[in-house]
Amino acid sequence: MIRFLIKGILRDKNRSLLPVVIVSIGVLLTVFLSGYIRGVMGDMIDLTARFQTGHLKVMSKAYADNQDQMPNDLALVDLSRLLQELKQDNPKYDWKPRIHFGGLVDVPGPGGETRSQGPGTGLAFDLLSPGSSEIDRLNIQNSLVRGALPATPGEALLSEDFAQKLGVQPGETITFFGSTMNGAMAFRNFTVSGTVKFGSAAMDRGTLIADLGDAQDMLDMDNSAGEIVGYHNAGAYEDEDARSLAAHFNKNHADGDEFEPVMQTLGQQNNMGAMLQYTDHMAAIFVGIFVFAMSLVLWNTGLLGGLRRYQEFGIRLALGESKGAIYRSLFTEAVIIGLLGSIAGTTFGVLFCFLLQKYGIDISSVMQDSSMMYPNRLRARMSLDLFVIGFIPGLFSMVLGNLLAGIGIYKRETAQLFKELEV
Amino acid sequence: MNSDYVISLRNVAKHYPIGDGRFTALQDINLDFSQGEFSGLVGPSGSGKTTLLNIIGSLDSPSEGTASVLGKNIATLSHKESAQLRNREIGFIFQVYNLLPVYTVFENVEFALLLQNRSEAERKKAVMDALEWVGLTHLADKKPSKLSGGEGQRVAIARAMVKRPSIVLADEPSANLDARNTHGILQTMKDLNRELKTTFLFSTHDEKVMQYLERIIHLDDGRIAQDEIVHAQSTPT
Repeated sequence: MIRFLIKGILRDKNRSLLPVVIVSIGVLLTVFLSGYIRGVMGDMIDLTARFQTGHLKVMSKAYADNQDQMPNDLALVDLSRLLQELKQDNPKYDWKPRIHFGGLVDVPGPGGETRSQGPGTGLAFDLLSPGSSEIDRLNIQNSLVRGALPATPGEALLSEDFAQKLGVQPGETITFFGSTMNGAMAFRNFTVSGTVKFGSAAMDRGTLIADLGDAQDMLDMDNSAGEIVGYHNAGAYEDEDARSLAAHFNKNHADGDEFEPVMQTLGQQNNMGAMLQYTDHMAAIFVGIFVFAMSLVLWNTGLLGGLRRYQEFGIRLALGESKGAIYRSLFTEAVIIGLLGSIAGTTFGVLFCFLLQKYGIDISSVMQDSSMMYPNRLRARMSLDLFVIGFIPGLFSMVLGNLLAGIGIYKRETAQLFKELEV
Repeated sequence: MNSDYVISLRNVAKHYPIGDGRFTALQDINLDFSQGEFSGLVGPSGSGKTTLLNIIGSLDSPSEGTASVLGKNIATLSHKESAQLRNREIGFIFQVYNLLPVYTVFENVEFALLLQNRSEAERKKAVMDALEWVGLTHLADKKPSKLSGGEGQRVAIARAMVKRPSIVLADEPSANLDARNTHGILQTMKDLNRELKTTFLFSTHDEKVMQYLERIIHLDDGRIAQDEIVHAQSTPT
């Protein structure tokens, strides 16, 4: 009987083609948009975690309250003891101190007079230790546009856009002016060893990257750092684990002092919690929307198809098929069509995701003035669940649409249906 | 009720609710049909012919009285039992042949056997036998759209007969056929009636069909106006 139904579906294009096309489009959109949102949001979260929030971040309570202002006067002190404690108590995280600072970057001419200058944002981390995990984490090597990584103290990197704006070449000297953690004036010469481009307008606009030791020296932050960021050794953010660890840490260090260290998770910083939830629920939201929308369309398609097939149902009733059997055959047809549409939609959806993951869409021109940590190239993200996620709306909406349409047939009295069929 | 009859109707009435009142489609119907009868219900439109065929075909049940088909009381059958009765014992022939357009002639005839879960070999033999009865084995692979009116109705007869039912109900089977085709399909049904002892019951107002009937029941306003035994001509003109 199933073979008989499949023959009918394949031969009757009106019965199969339109529903298959509708299901395919819906599944394609579900799969593609899920991969797209996951890619874009994932990249944004990942970028933010790598450069700003870490999976976990330890700061002084006062620094945490004002971290947008990079208040190094409120930085963590007794850094080595705190680092030792973190590494000892939480070995599954890689703990790294960082300093964010702001100031003026000045480029001297041959006579020492200012050739060009501009405001810059500084980021200092462990650049010089052999095999520093920070270089990989921040993708510094791959982000190099010109020159090389700093190899000795006193060398720094400039973002490529900033370097071009200032007219600085690798090997030239720049002077950084800022203020120490005690409020005194700070300045220091750096040799630009190279330029980098991170693919984020916020980072590429005006960043100076220096070794942590140089920044501590320049800003009078001996054995101090603005923050200590922690990254799970597995690479991925584990919200539950991070929350538990942060709660435990904060409980142990709560002494009522404004300089007490506090630990915040990625989700507790920069509204990233909402972003994480949004990303997690996006696939479910898409599936829900498409199940609802496609069910309405397929319900109508099913009704029209059902009306068109009244004659067939009448003949089948007369030949001795029960209404229940006809209803079940509608269900079987819906499953077959839903599967065909889901397979086609998933194939194209995954293909488009793959292409968008590989090539991406360049949005750097619209992100020039953005201060968000947002990638310049939108990319989808492939994952195994994309291969199955489309089958939920594909099958469910087709079956639901057909069963709703079939209820009319099932509820009618056989004779009345037979009469309506005009057989 | 005499169990020798394949169809037995006692005081059958059928009412349909209309507003606060009701419309009576059939009343005081008392009929018996023996195996192998070649009979017809004759009357104008609205006389109750189709309603009576629907009750005998277990598509509907009487409002009053008892309709017994092959010993089964139609009113007490469940939907599933009604479907089984139609599936195994009753064949339908319609005025528009109602073949499934996406299936071939073979598949249209085969469908009734699929519902009986018969094996592929059994189905193939039964379908080809049925097509041979109606002289259409050469059109087995054709779609209904490629058939003439007479050929389409012959396929419908083959579909009704393939499961070798006890009863065939034919509702205005000649309505869309010319005289030559009408005589052709009636002769085919008559031959099958003789060969297989199948009971045929027609609903018609076509004089050409009436020439073949052995018994004519005239219906008027839902009542039996006349029930006459006639001697059908062996080769009506």
